[in-house]
Amino acid sequence: MTGLVGEFATPVAAGEVAEPLLEVTDLRVRFRTRGTVVHAVNGLSYRVHAGRMLAVIGESGSGKSVGSRALMGLLPETAQVSGSARFAGTELIGMPERELRARRGADIAMVFQDPTRSLNPTMRIGAQVAEAVRAHSSLNRRAALDKAVELLGLVRLPAPERRAVEYPHQLSGGMRQRVMIAIALAARPRLLVADEATTALDVTTQAQIMELLVDLQERFGMAVVLISHDLGLAASYAQDVLVMYAGRAVEYAPAQVLFADVRMPYTRALLGAVPQLEREPHSLLPVVPGQPPDLARLPAGCPFRPRCTAADDACGEAPPFTEHEPGHWWACWHADGGEEAR
Amino acid sequence: MTTVTRAAPTLLTSPGARLVGKRLLMAVPIVIGVSIVTFWVLNLIPGSAAQQLLGPEATPAQIQALEARLGLDRPAPVRYLAWLGGAVTGDLGTSLVSGQPVAGLLGERLAVSGELVMLAFVISLGLALPVALLAAHRPGRLFDRVSMLVSITGLSVANYVLALLLVLVFAVELALFPAIGFVPLTESVGGNLQGMALPAAAIAFPLFCFYTRFLRGDLVDQLQGEDYIVTARAKGIGPWQVLLRHAFRNSAFGLITVVGLNLGTLIGATVIIEQIFALPGIGQLMLQAINTRDFVVVQACVVLFAVVAVVANLLADLLYAVLDPRIRYGSR
Ligand SMILES: Nc1ncnc2c1ncn2[C@@H]1O[C@H](COP(=O)(O)OP(=O)(O)OP(=O)(O)O)[C@@H](O)[C@H]1O
Ligand SMILES: [Mg+2]
Repeated sequence: MTGLVGEFATPVAAGEVAEPLLEVTDLRVRFRTRGTVVHAVNGLSYRVHAGRMLAVIGESGSGKSVGSRALMGLLPETAQVSGSARFAGTELIGMPERELRARRGADIAMVFQDPTRSLNPTMRIGAQVAEAVRAHSSLNRRAALDKAVELLGLVRLPAPERRAVEYPHQLSGGMRQRVMIAIALAARPRLLVADEATTALDVTTQAQIMELLVDLQERFGMAVVLISHDLGLAASYAQDVLVMYAGRAVEYAPAQVLFADVRMPYTRALLGAVPQLEREPHSLLPVVPGQPPDLARLPAGCPFRPRCTAADDACGEAPPFTEHEPGHWWACWHADGGEEAR
Repeated sequence: MTTVTRAAPTLLTSPGARLVGKRLLMAVPIVIGVSIVTFWVLNLIPGSAAQQLLGPEATPAQIQALEARLGLDRPAPVRYLAWLGGAVTGDLGTSLVSGQPVAGLLGERLAVSGELVMLAFVISLGLALPVALLAAHRPGRLFDRVSMLVSITGLSVANYVLALLLVLVFAVELALFPAIGFVPLTESVGGNLQGMALPAAAIAFPLFCFYTRFLRGDLVDQLQGEDYIVTARAKGIGPWQVLLRHAFRNSAFGLITVVGLNLGTLIGATVIIEQIFALPGIGQLMLQAINTRDFVVVQACVVLFAVVAVVANLLADLLYAVLDPRIRYGSR
């Protein structure tokens, strides 16, 4: 089964949630470059539960990529990371590089947006997958290459044995993204972060890759974090949704709860934009009027205030991100009254 | 269950081979163009070999007679075509001064200059690779800073100044190497290398600085700016593997091009350095020939320099084509 609407039947364990696989608390990332400090992530908190798919939604620059790369220490040296990210009980933030390296790909694997730039143009496909295999096993070169071909078959790359000896430029975009997924699966990670993994692909290929991800998730019981601009994608595939704004979480709930009962004005603004069919399929989310705040000069108070129709004096103080209803979190002083607002 | 076989396109039909063929065809007019320009410029230089040979006392009649004997009285285009006809068949004519065949003279001298260039090239690249890799491994750290300081300094020192400095320190003060003097390889390998050490170092050092800076910069650019580096790191492999298997593989292409261009101009550096260290190479031969107006020899030297430059570039392109899968297998 291919987790479209059917996934929504998954019961939401409201209130009595099991120990989360990943628990991010008050994560902060800032970049120091030439005198200015960019506050990319500002107290981000969320949870990912084993075997579930969490969609992370937000405008460009809201800190989705930076927030996820910070988990595995994949940010450039100019980044200062603080806060907490516990993976299966182990703190990742501040972990020594050597230990972190052993966890990259094995605990948390990543698939990136642009499969053309994300693969090494000078290395054969098979070798690139085999390298990921060998990073976490004692297989010899030969056996790792066989395993790589197996993985390429698993992600349904046609003719995997032949493709294994080809170079990235000989593959189509969709095929390259399958290779990226094969690399990510090489060490059987417990969490897969797909950072806009389908954004660069056409609609048909996008659907195929999503089906593949859902399929693999079920087969291996992985948790998936699906980073996306695309609310429709989140609604179709994810069980949980996190909405980010200016480097923080502003609303978080199981998908069916969120889409039935939006509380945060920013999420509402995003949602209001979805039905515009004439919009380009992969355009960024330009629909919310106004500009996101300058991350180098974040104002005090609610960062969405300047663009919010419901804003008033209360918004001069930043609203806390708390669980207002069982399983439903938001950060807003003027959360719309759910049912009566409709 | 799986056998991985390499799909190799046949050499002649590969895009790389076609590229090389194209470049070879382009090289012919370049070399001919250089030879025409050289011939023309040499003609403009006042004085002739006959004058030089006969000395200042010679009468115009004597000079005319000798010029006629050497074939210098014919019009320039005729002389050029005669030269070209010979050159194509490998006959570069005979020296106007010594009467020896030019091809033989060049061959002897080429061995010396070739050895000098190769030594300089091997030393500079052999040192630049590890230094650049170590520097790029930890940009901004002490090793990186020191190596960048050295290479910037090295780039701003002319190689003849460096040559004199080397002589002063290693030949005069420390007496480790001879200041001048050449021992043929066939006579004594050790003696030959000792004589070559300082001139090779004088050419190699600025090159080393240049390669180090270039490669270190490109490596750091790859490491900090390229997505495939993030993919590699996200696999959980170590920093040296990321550097060598990923960043360096891609930086190598830029380096090959730079080295190819360099190798062509390197031959020019030998002219000065051979003069300083009294090495019997092409550069020295050419300077002597200019002084005696032995234009047949000068012409041959200049054309040889052009051929070396063209071949070096061609080799770089060929290497590039062999190494870069996007060229080797064509783009879709
Ligand atoms: N290396 C860096 N140095 C300085 N600022 C950075 C760096 N990387 C990211 N940023 C900034 O951090 C902010 C968040 O970036 P991030 O890439 O996480 O956004 P995003 O939500 O993933 O956006 P998109 O949807 O466009 O991918 C942006 O303002 C970006 O300019
Ligand atoms: Mg992003």
